[in-house]
Amino acid sequence: MAETQIKNLTLNFGPQHPSAHGVLRMVLEMDGEIIERADPHVGLLHRGTEKLIEYKNYLQAVPYFDRLDYVSPQNQEHAFALATEKLLGCEVPQRGQYLRVLFAELGRLANHSFNVSAYAMDIGAMTPMLWAVEERELLMEFFERVCGARLHMAYFRPGGVSYDMPAGLGDDIYAWAERFPQVIDDLEGLLTENRIFKQRSVDIGVMTAEQCYDWGFSGPNLRASGVPWDLRKAQPYDVYAKMDFDVPVGKNGDCYDRYLVRIYEMREAIRIVKQCLEQMPPGPVRVDDRKISPPRRAEMKQSMEALIHHFKLYTEGYHVPAGETYTAVEAPKGEFAVYLVSDGTNKPYRCKIRAPGFAHLQAMDFMCKGHMLADVVANLGSLDIVFGEIDR
Amino acid sequence: MGVDPTSGGAPLAPGAEQDAVLYQVTESLKEKGFVVAQLDKVVNWARTGSMWPMTFGLACCAVEMIHAYCSRYDLDRFGVVPRPSPRQADLIIVAGTLTNKMAPAFRKIYDQMAEPRYVISMGSCANGGGYYHYSYSVVRGCDRVVPVDVYVPGCPPTAEALVYGVMQLQKKIRRTGTLWR
Amino acid sequence: MDQALLDLGEYISAALSQEVIDFEVRHDELMVRVRRDNLVKVAMFLRDDVNCQFKQVVDICGVDLPERDERFDVIYNLLSLVQNRRIRLKVATDDVHPVPSIVSVYSAAGWYEREVWDLFGVLFADNPDLRRIMTDYGFEGHPLRKDFPLTGYVEVRYDDEQKRVVYEPVKLTQEFRSFDFLSPWEGMLPGDEKATAEPAEGDKGEGA
Repeated sequence: MAETQIKNLTLNFGPQHPSAHGVLRMVLEMDGEIIERADPHVGLLHRGTEKLIEYKNYLQAVPYFDRLDYVSPQNQEHAFALATEKLLGCEVPQRGQYLRVLFAELGRLANHSFNVSAYAMDIGAMTPMLWAVEERELLMEFFERVCGARLHMAYFRPGGVSYDMPAGLGDDIYAWAERFPQVIDDLEGLLTENRIFKQRSVDIGVMTAEQCYDWGFSGPNLRASGVPWDLRKAQPYDVYAKMDFDVPVGKNGDCYDRYLVRIYEMREAIRIVKQCLEQMPPGPVRVDDRKISPPRRAEMKQSMEALIHHFKLYTEGYHVPAGETYTAVEAPKGEFAVYLVSDGTNKPYRCKIRAPGFAHLQAMDFMCKGHMLADVVANLGSLDIVFGEIDR
Repeated sequence: MGVDPTSGGAPLAPGAEQDAVLYQVTESLKEKGFVVAQLDKVVNWARTGSMWPMTFGLACCAVEMIHAYCSRYDLDRFGVVPRPSPRQADLIIVAGTLTNKMAPAFRKIYDQMAEPRYVISMGSCANGGGYYHYSYSVVRGCDRVVPVDVYVPGCPPTAEALVYGVMQLQKKIRRTGTLWR
Repeated sequence: MDQALLDLGEYISAALSQEVIDFEVRHDELMVRVRRDNLVKVAMFLRDDVNCQFKQVVDICGVDLPERDERFDVIYNLLSLVQNRRIRLKVATDDVHPVPSIVSVYSAAGWYEREVWDLFGVLFADNPDLRRIMTDYGFEGHPLRKDFPLTGYVEVRYDDEQKRVVYEPVKLTQEFRSFDFLSPWEGMLPGDEKATAEPAEGDKGEGA
């Protein structure tokens, strides 16, 4: 019998694919339906954020961070605000810190509810999406009430937050937090013991702890492999040190564990939200330094000095002492960090954004090797990929 | 929604007037087995009633677009059901920043869509580059690549704004729609 | 915290006296300047030594300092989960001399090095896959260098005659407006007649 030449099939996944969570293009080399090699092409949403930040002053750079990981915008701002404060050497008042932690956790809830349901949608379940997005809609109402924008808050600014909460918002958030675990139960009822869901996710994309270290995993993806590592515990920032919460850890490091870790993190986030609302002291929400935070509008009508400060802050901005810092926060997707280099002027000299998704997506080739084509989507969904932050 | 040959194609609000038209149409169907209407009006009615958009989420606006498709805003009630394939889509909602690297792929998707096709540019990045206007890698407005019918402003526009944009497009189709573009 | 970091810095520079140039602790962060040639050995030591155990490379990035001879700094941020420490390595290079790749030590370094190559044009020796990653297919130049203009050199447009997306030189209807806020009080504005006066005059007006 004559020898037959067998050639691998090359399949182009994306850049426009409903389960690509954005604009991922992946070139898959396949032997039948088995993945031999996955080559993700990123950069299809590369907007040059880092270059643009070098041309904007520190306050103008804040909204760029919203637009990185647009599913949980606050957490990105948090990293930038902390980095700038570290260089400025200023301390945020207690209430400002509580507000930041509160909204960072609400951002985590928004992110995880979206990711869990989108992941379920990727592997065949429609309903969780409809339920979870309704909850996100309620969260967005809270965001809108506190800062005026539904999605891109620009709320955490260097030196504190932009506004205090309006009256009544705390109570409404608390009431929502009381009710939300019921929704998590509903989602779990649909998914956790669902046979199809388990068949699609258990033992898919297994990563051991050592492999996670090697590939630079962080956040829920690292914890799903059994590593109890959470920056909120290990290197606490703002008032996380005062919060009482647990860090859920997975056992097997497969897609199913990553899903479970996110579900349990939502429950823990609810605990933090409640604690924040209970403990939040009254007081100022921004540093009382007119060289960094703007004066109140009422003050500007009375005081010439306040008017000058306002004008200077919104034209020139503030000068940050020369120095460099690498400041990381535990964003919902993992370790989100800013490497900020200041040369003493009013604009960052270099602002490198460390996106957790970048490292996670890099491991796609490693994770998908030997899996079936349909598992690519499961892996991708469970890693929680958002292209805004990967491509920047 | 009845098609009244006399009303110039604008939909009637629910109420006595609409009921009367619906009754008239039903009676006519019962009696004669057919209705008489102007062909272009019927075509426009069909087009506006089932605008299937392509799921083309690029960046932040995609989140608001998903919110518009989901429970609260429920674009389904306008017959707007997202389709994953350009061959099935009538409408493409450009939701997010269009970059130089993405532009050829985007144009290819647009070319694959069947006529009549419509484009909604959603958000300031798609409208004109927006916050990223001066970047080295961003297309300064998706109208440099495809013809746009409706621009929805905002960064990102709220889901409500997108619903309004879809309704504006329906209005535009009714007003200018012909059998072929 | 500071003392522990200083001790760690001492320890590393003693163990790798040939490779480490110097180290400093600022803002509770340890930064170690390392010679380019033996970077792999340094990384290997930091990963495997019991007192270090920096098992994760969390970030690699570049910084462009055009006024320097070796104009680029490549910065490695490593994390030790066991010790709960971070360390920053700094390696200087220029656009000709490659930096040894540390992919053999940390798999995660692969894409980060690609990114630094793409955005800065720093070469990495022995990286198995040094392609561009972020910028457009066929992009020319390295956008994050300080001498690369913000708006780049090309923009795209659909050409109705060629029926494809074409690249053209950038034409802006309005230039990017960048205001220089640095001068008014400390120095003099350009074109100001006082700017040419004796330098002692520049000191007044400090009260801003």
